[in-house]
Amino acid sequence: MPRRISLREVAYARSGDKGDVVNVGVMAKTPADYELLRKHLTAEKVQQHFDGIVKGPVVRYDLDNLQSLEFVMQRALGGGATRTLMMDQTGKAYGPNLLRLVLEVDG
Amino acid sequence: MKSIRISCGSASWGDMLDPAVELAEKGDVQYIGFDHLAELTMSILQRMKVKDPKRGYIPDLVPWMKRLLPIARAKGIRMLTNAGGANVEAAGEAVEQVARDLGVTGLRLGLVFGDDVLERLPEFRAQGLKFPNLDTGEEDIDAVADRIVSANAYIGSEGQIEALAERADVVITGRATDSSAHIAPMVHEFGWSTEDWDRIGAAIAIGHIIECSSGCAGGMSNFWNEIKEPWRVAFPIAEVYENGDAIITKAAGSGRMVNEWTVKEHLVYEVHDPRSYVMADGVSDLSQCRLESVGPDRVRVTGFQGRRRPDTLKLCLGYEDGWVGESEISVCWPDAYEKAVFCERFLRGRFEQLKLPIREIRIDFIGVNSIHGPLAPLPSNLDEVNEIRVRVAVRTTSREYANQVRREVTHLWTHGPVGTTAVISPPAPRQVISLWPTLIPRELVPQRVVVKEVH
Repeated sequence: MPRRISLREVAYARSGDKGDVVNVGVMAKTPADYELLRKHLTAEKVQQHFDGIVKGPVVRYDLDNLQSLEFVMQRALGGGATRTLMMDQTGKAYGPNLLRLVLEVDG
Repeated sequence: MKSIRISCGSASWGDMLDPAVELAEKGDVQYIGFDHLAELTMSILQRMKVKDPKRGYIPDLVPWMKRLLPIARAKGIRMLTNAGGANVEAAGEAVEQVARDLGVTGLRLGLVFGDDVLERLPEFRAQGLKFPNLDTGEEDIDAVADRIVSANAYIGSEGQIEALAERADVVITGRATDSSAHIAPMVHEFGWSTEDWDRIGAAIAIGHIIECSSGCAGGMSNFWNEIKEPWRVAFPIAEVYENGDAIITKAAGSGRMVNEWTVKEHLVYEVHDPRSYVMADGVSDLSQCRLESVGPDRVRVTGFQGRRRPDTLKLCLGYEDGWVGESEISVCWPDAYEKAVFCERFLRGRFEQLKLPIREIRIDFIGVNSIHGPLAPLPSNLDEVNEIRVRVAVRTTSREYANQVRREVTHLWTHGPVGTTAVISPPAPRQVISLWPTLIPRELVPQRVVVKEVH
């Protein structure tokens, strides 16, 4: 039976901006959580999650030493902080927004 | 092993002054580095300078120096800031005046020039530089060339190191990188070579950890609800060792917290490829570092590595790109959501009726989806929602059209659903300055340093 795990249960997240690029650092709560994230929280899943908000590609970088994953999302902020019409001009709320994601995990 | 204590006194224009004063007074620090600039700031400052050649630096610099200079002089603390913005010269004069007003004598003031290349752009263009856009891939600045209002390279710490070597007590730069004000004291104090890449990589990483003021000390934190006294904000201190290790901490008795989580939160913040965190001074590799709690509010960071600096510097061009008009109004129970939808239809219909030239439009329901957008599920008690604030923002071609957007929102007051209210006069239309990030060969952006003594 696949289990459904809300990202919020297993990780913390903080996001920020550079130009039109938003990055989300996802920090696993425990070493076991990190293994789960590494296996299941793919760049594709994050890209699908932000469908309608992020217009460009998403790349994932692994930080085993910090038990964290870094997601870098292009064309994510409506043209960047100085141009965007979004209220979250600097992408600060993308971290919490990513924590809405629910992972389907085997067993 | 030799160590120094470097601290962060500001993360941006408008940051809080009190925590900087607290760490100057009680932090036992030798250096305070201030970052006052964000991506948009240079364009704003450049336009201030065009209107008045005595302006164009961060106005906070004056009240900051009034509070901090007397403490810094008494304790021998040296300060480095990029508050010079678009007018380092005028910033220097302002600080000189503050020193005189306070009766501070013998202050050595270092000014670092060179980041502002606006007037040299035509020369670079003539040399064949096209300045391709790093974000969009557009290959040539031609399309925006006549609308460019600022051009600043993110310069590294060289000039600041030189100013410290010439015994400057206060160093003022323009668009130097956020972390350079922290890197310069390390290089200066430890005598590191600026090509000792592992040391420089460590300096960049340590600078990154503290450069955003409370960002590594409970600000923007997932652990916000562990903060007992929210109003007691503390800024961080890096106790840096000669070998490139550091302990991240804060002033004894100050509020908030520094722990492995708060430091980790900032290590992953605004970093892209963690193996290549590229700054003007070098490339830092964060992928091997370790965090270790070594006491209350003390986190040891070790294992940073570095690689050779790039041959190019990041160059940020700001160009005029239309106007934004925005406004807000509130709708209330009963049927708040349906009323908000009515307001949205009203606004979209009116803009069409008026043939407003709309480049982009966004309508948010504050309280429902203004922050998380389409990912925010509608509340389950939609029928009983107390209130919703309707916010509209339109990017258009002129100030007049932007004003029209605001005017249409006021019409909802009297021509909208029952109970629609609370139009608050919003900020005036703002001109959009879009950014064009690009690269420029390092050798085209030399730094120039002036150190003078204030009498």
